[in-house]
This record gives sequence, C-alpha cells and structure tokens, in this order.
Amino acid sequence: MLGVGEKFPSFSLTATVSTEKDPQKAFKTITDLDYSGKWKVYFFWPKDFTFVCPTEITGFAKLNKQFRDRDTQILGGSIDSEWVHHAWRTHHADLKDLPFPMLSDIKRDLCEQLGILDPQGGVAQRATFIVDPDGVIRFVYVTDGAVGRNPDEVLRVLDALQTDELCPCNWHKGEATLQIA
Amino acid sequence: MTLNELMETVPAYARDLKLNFSTLTQQPELTEQQVWGTAVAAAVASRNGELTQAVLAEAAGHLSPQALEAAKGAAAIMGMNNVYYRFMHLTANQNYRNMPARLRMNIIRTHGVEAADFELWCAAVSAINGCSVCVDSHEKTVREKGLSEEAVLAAIRLASVVHALATVFDAEKVAAPQAVSA
Repeated sequence: MLGVGEKFPSFSLTATVSTEKDPQKAFKTITDLDYSGKWKVYFFWPKDFTFVCPTEITGFAKLNKQFRDRDTQILGGSIDSEWVHHAWRTHHADLKDLPFPMLSDIKRDLCEQLGILDPQGGVAQRATFIVDPDGVIRFVYVTDGAVGRNPDEVLRVLDALQTDELCPCNWHKGEATLQIA
Repeated sequence: MTLNELMETVPAYARDLKLNFSTLTQQPELTEQQVWGTAVAAAVASRNGELTQAVLAEAAGHLSPQALEAAKGAAAIMGMNNVYYRFMHLTANQNYRNMPARLRMNIIRTHGVEAADFELWCAAVSAINGCSVCVDSHEKTVREKGLSEEAVLAAIRLASVVHALATVFDAEKVAAPQAVSA
C-alpha cells in the first residue's frame, strides 16, 4: 500500500456525478490533475449496493461543506462501473444528491497502484487517503471488513495537517526565521 | 458617509487627529497599497463601525480587491494571534511556548499580496492590540523583506491615528447619538 510521503498515482477515470438520465450530464472524466490547488480526500469501498458503504458515504456527504471550507474535494470510488454507481445513487434515497463524484476504477488500475485491492475478494478495501495540493499522500486510513470509517476523524486529521504556525510570533530567539512563501 | 465627510465631523478637541490623518495618508515612505492596507487593518482592529465602513469604502478606490481582502485578513488573524501570543509573553510559565498552538492561520500564507505589505499590516495591528512578541517578530520580518525603518514607522503613525479616531467616533456616538449618522 502506498504510504505517507508518496505521490498519489496519476489516473483518468469515469465518474458518476449525478443521477441525471443524460449520460453527458451524469458522467464526467476525472483525473489526478483536476481540482488543482486543492486538498483531496479519496475514499474507496468494496462494492456498491452493500450495507456499510452508504452510511460511510453519507457520513462524508454530511461533512462536505466542512471539507469544502478547507479547500478539500472529496472523491469516492470503487471498482464498480459508472452505471452501477448511477443505479445505486438513483435507487438509494441517501445517495441521490451526493455532493461529490463517485469514481469508477473499473480496470482496478488505481486501486492496484494504491495497493488497496483485497487479495481475497479482488475489490477495493475500505481505504481513505488525504492528498495535499502537491499530490502527496499525507494520511492513510484502512479498516477491515464491515467496520465503517469515521469521517469526523478524517476531518480532524485534515484540519491538523492544514494547521501550521505560520506566524513569526512563534519565532524563538536564536532560531532560523520562518520561510513564508 | 464618505471618509472625507466623516472627517469633517471630527470635533475640535480632536483636530490634531484629523490633520494627522490627512497628512499621514500621503507619507512618501509608503506605497499606496501600504497606506490604505494599513488604514483598513487599523480601522478593523480599532472597532468603530462608522470609521471602518468609511475607510473600507475609501480604500476600495486605492486597493485591488485582493489587497483589500488581505488587509482585512491581517486584522482578523492578528486579532487572534495578538491575544494568543501576548499570553505567551505575559505568563511567567514558559512551557506554553513549546506546546502546539493548534490555531489555523493559513491566510498568512495565502493572502496573495506582497509579503512585506501583509507583514506590515500585521505589525500595525499588533501595535494597536499591544502584543509585544508580535510587534517584535513582525517588525523583524518586515525589515528582512526589505522595508526601511522609516516605512515601518510611517505605518505605525498611521495606525496610531486611525485607532485614536476610532475612540473619538465612539465618544461622539455616546455624546450625541443622532449626530454621526449617514
């Protein structure tokens, strides 16, 4: 599995962004270069249409505004096709108005490069990555089986990662001064 | 009320301040952005609604929207840092200085204007809010970024007068509530 300090892999995947019937509106190609300048939270789940996943996904959705306020884009994903994502969102009340895209890693390319494909099941593990605007992984969080993730914890970590004492007021006598961009 | 109109309402006892203000916004040591950013940051830090509104309106004619936002941002973030770091120098307990602040202050990196100018505004606000650690460190940073002592002093003069004017307008509001309305 890729770890903290490593670069998030490049990818170009179809994503489901709405439940519109028109495929031009429902689907969009998303790459690692999109959302430039923003932080990203990528979180993967094993399979659409299962039970734990929607509660986690809606957990992230409830916090979407908090993530947006922190210049962070949430991107969900699994190895299901964009059509399966579409069907799931259309038929699941809690997922209809999801405020972030669902990536379809149908070739399992991205999950493989991330090292999160479950060796038994062949689908993505319940893995979450926080990636900074330079494309570097800053946090990895994986849980086994049916244990859902805690999106509040992801937000807490994101906040801590973004909180730097940038004020020269923190300068102590004798230390080198801060390099402020 | 425009800033000029507001200045016309300054009472006789504060005539010095009115005249100082008009001179100090013309100081050659400061660029137009430095002058008006300082005025904005100082007004915000001085907490009088009328003065703040009038200075913001006037400054919009002298500053880019980005610089105006940045000046307000400097006053905002220093409102926090001036209390936090002032605690550090007020308390005899040095342990606090080694504990993580856990305070977001990303605007110090993301303000988008010249770093020297942003730091100058922070120094001015710190002078108003009375944080010695902040004044020291921002003054040092501003000088490292190339501003002269004369420029720093020019900004401090302006901030001092803006602050004083805020107290005058507060006093006049209490004395004659209907006198200073738009």
